[in-house]
Amino acid sequence: MTPQPERGLVVQGLTVVLGGRAVLRDISLQVAPGEVVALEGPSGAGKTTLLRAIAGLLPAEGAVVAAGRPALVFQHHALAGRLTARENALVGALGRMGFWRAALRLWPRSELAATDAALGSVGLSGLEDRRADRLSGGQRQRVAIARALVQRAPVLLADEPVASLDPGTAEGVLTLLRDLARGQRLPVLVSLHQPDLAMRFADRLLRLEDGCLRPS
Amino acid sequence: MRRAAWILGFLGIQAACIWLVEPDLPRLWDGLPRLAGWIAGGFPPDFSGAGDLARRALETVALATLGTTTAAVLAVPLALLAARPAAPLAVLYHPARALLDALRGIDGFVFALIFVAAVGLGPFAGMLGVALHSAGSLGKLWSEAFEAADPAPMEAALSAGAGRAQAAAVVLVPETLPQTASALLYVWEFNIRASTVLGLVGAGGIGQELKNAVDLLDFNRVIAILATIVALTLAADRLSAALRRRLL
Repeated sequence: MTPQPERGLVVQGLTVVLGGRAVLRDISLQVAPGEVVALEGPSGAGKTTLLRAIAGLLPAEGAVVAAGRPALVFQHHALAGRLTARENALVGALGRMGFWRAALRLWPRSELAATDAALGSVGLSGLEDRRADRLSGGQRQRVAIARALVQRAPVLLADEPVASLDPGTAEGVLTLLRDLARGQRLPVLVSLHQPDLAMRFADRLLRLEDGCLRPS
Repeated sequence: MRRAAWILGFLGIQAACIWLVEPDLPRLWDGLPRLAGWIAGGFPPDFSGAGDLARRALETVALATLGTTTAAVLAVPLALLAARPAAPLAVLYHPARALLDALRGIDGFVFALIFVAAVGLGPFAGMLGVALHSAGSLGKLWSEAFEAADPAPMEAALSAGAGRAQAAAVVLVPETLPQTASALLYVWEFNIRASTVLGLVGAGGIGQELKNAVDLLDFNRVIAILATIVALTLAADRLSAALRRRLL
């Protein structure tokens, strides 16, 4: 049986085959609670595929062991532009709600309070009722992180979360991810295109090339 | 060579249509004086009993509006089943699309004809006819709007543990509201126009008055009714266009 760290993430022998081609081969990695691990590598190396496979969005062979379903922060926010910051963050709570309650927007008070707290923790207090398409790029990425927090996932995955942000905003988002990892003892696995940022904000670096992990 | 093939194909289709329709210009030429006589004799239009005319016009608007509302209620589940990102059961995708195509393929006029036989004369039969045909049209337009929407927010909801129907209700439906509301208004406006002739088969509305006037060769009345229909459809067209401009 695979050893499971305290609220950590263990990936063992993960292989993803898409269209008859092995996009990822025998990936094994571990992220401890409170640790930030950066995944770097050239475009097309398989970083997004690896994160999506760990999040359960792609069929994969091998084992992903965590204390629950990981939350994924998508590269381009994946927010619904017409919904408010609060409504977008509440999407993270849908897994705990029934269909009708969600469809009729009868959010439980506890979920609303937790969502506002999550938005506060990512620095968006006062912007809860603003539509997502009226937020800046950095604010949108923060809403996406708040959505992941509302999900109450034991693992946080982030796919190029600062790809479309200016340097200052990118540093703010990465600092936030690192603070969340430390403060909530969350294992965080983040793919980054910029090696300098990866070295500054991550505790460890993993390099992915041609679907395989290489020594960094 | 390819262009010549297209032109030949087009001409071939037109020739086949002419063979089937048998257009007869001499017949049209012979009929024109009769038509001109009716139009000339139709002035001044007979607006007597304006209350009845107004009631029939309102009946037309009411049956088109209620028919569109009923169509919307029927179209919501069908559109969700017939849109790939939203379909909670993939196995129902093709049957749902086939049902929408079938409903859309049968005109509301034909449905109304059937419902007159089933539930009797009057606007209720017309409303049912409008509802069934429009459910197909709306369902098709809405499913296309759902399929054209950015899939990322839906995917994010699914990755957060939401069910497909739940994610569609919370994310996809509000996200596509401008498109779906615009389609609803367009269908309503179309239904106002289409409902003006439902009376010809006894399915209520101002078409009933038109049929009576034509049967009696009362062209003064026919012109008055046609003027009312034009005013009604123009008003619906303007209102719908103004509302759609605000939505998009």
